[in-house]
Amino acid sequence: MNNPGGAPSQNAFMDQFSLEPRAQRVWDLNHAVWFTLMGLGGGVFLAGRGLNLTDGLGSLWGAPTVDAVSFAAIAVGGAILVADLGRPLQFWRAFANVRTSWISWGAWSDLIFLTVAGLLVLPGLRFGDARPFDSLGWDPHGGDGPGLALEILAGAAAAVVMTYAGAVLARPRSIPYWSSPAVPVQFFLSSAAMSVAAVLALEVAAGVAVTAGQMVLLGLLATALAAAVVAHLLTGADVPGKRESLDQLLRGRYRCFFVDVVLVAGTVAPALLAFVGSLAGGLRDALAVVCLVLLAPSGFLLRLITLRVGIFPPVHIPGRMPGGRAVKPPAVTRP
Amino acid sequence: MVIDAERCVGCQACTVACKTENQSPYGAWYAPVIEWESGQYPDATLNYLPTLCNHCEDAPCVTACPSGALKRRDDGIVIADEDVCIGSRACMAACPYGAIHYHDGAVSVSGSPAEPEPSLPERYAHQRHTTGAVSKCTYCSHRIDYGTENGLEVGVHPLATPACVVTCPAECRIFGDLDDPDSNVSRYLAAKGPEQVLRPDARTGPSTRYVGLP
Repeated sequence: MNNPGGAPSQNAFMDQFSLEPRAQRVWDLNHAVWFTLMGLGGGVFLAGRGLNLTDGLGSLWGAPTVDAVSFAAIAVGGAILVADLGRPLQFWRAFANVRTSWISWGAWSDLIFLTVAGLLVLPGLRFGDARPFDSLGWDPHGGDGPGLALEILAGAAAAVVMTYAGAVLARPRSIPYWSSPAVPVQFFLSSAAMSVAAVLALEVAAGVAVTAGQMVLLGLLATALAAAVVAHLLTGADVPGKRESLDQLLRGRYRCFFVDVVLVAGTVAPALLAFVGSLAGGLRDALAVVCLVLLAPSGFLLRLITLRVGIFPPVHIPGRMPGGRAVKPPAVTRP
Repeated sequence: MVIDAERCVGCQACTVACKTENQSPYGAWYAPVIEWESGQYPDATLNYLPTLCNHCEDAPCVTACPSGALKRRDDGIVIADEDVCIGSRACMAACPYGAIHYHDGAVSVSGSPAEPEPSLPERYAHQRHTTGAVSKCTYCSHRIDYGTENGLEVGVHPLATPACVVTCPAECRIFGDLDDPDSNVSRYLAAKGPEQVLRPDARTGPSTRYVGLP
């Protein structure tokens, strides 16, 4: 406690106003799951399109496998989000405050993505030998004007879907560990690395050889993620609230999960393995799968631990001058 | 509102007045007084910090709320519309003070064997508040509105003043228009300043100002 004059005894009426650093209890496991699924869903769509892998990896539910995985992840993530609301039947109100709320932006981007990407793939849907929407006039791979326009719009919405959860945390200044552009950057890079690894694993499953360039891309994304995490850990370490968050991450209860699992095993190791895979052609497919096995759980843990180390600083630090020097508290004046 | 922390005697009358006036949900206290000891005998001191929503000019709860349930009125009071709230709790994560409370209906009004029989205010709270929505201090906006509609001077007439202010026996809370230099609250700040705020690092522009913070 920062009160040099003695330990505070907070009274029985205390609920949330606190003179102690206070961990947020608002968002936890459900949010970590939907943050992860949204990131994965948006990222798989972008990775599939960016690496030109919508064809050749088979189909699922009539759609190209990468697109089907993407839609499923976002739909399930969205369902978890709605179910977690206090009043889920009022979920449509989440679209109301697009002027300032990142949750509203997220709701719109989810809706736009599912609608536009759904339209984009519609002409290519196959049910047996039938292609019931073949008469629609655009290329589902974005090879013509309307198809390309739909692909760009869906890609932009997917990028917002990957990032907005981090922006929700970063926008307010209430929790210093969250209040940083590094958080949405981490979420985006984690989503991108997970998604590229997932698409490469789908390639392996479909019997398509993973290329050296794809492994270099995966290695670069994981390296950038590691750099973003480390940079966030190194800045503002003395800020009240963030100091306690860093204590939990680097020395406290989450040290093992965060440093060993998320950072070392789940980010640095896949980066190294991806670069090794880019050089060793014989190991490439196996290493791509190993990278997914390492990156996906660490991506989920990154989000869960980020939520759990969200700590509010004390609402007031007694007996301290603005520069941080301890002073003798004034006597209470009785009326 | 200005709170003169040096005058607070820690009686919690404001806390209870708020609870009964607003019938806040079980476990939600909109205006608690934080109490702590400092120093060592013979210079030991009990300190009190009355708290409530800061009704920020740049209210992060309003910004974060996806449904528009959190609103800042023209007079600066930040309110939560429980009928519009969807229970995302984004406002709770955004509020630097912990001034917003989520009502999940955990206490049964029927008094199940696992739960103690709810008190009368808790029963009313369940009738009055929406399960799955947030609620918060409104500076007793219903009293302010009543005073405005009936020509009473806000912050001076008891019926046009928040319950916590009216109840405080030490008169450590002063309520009025901070934009009016002749208001009671502005004059008090001028006489007793400098003004202080909680969590200045959050840069939210709180309308709840303090003097004499320990």
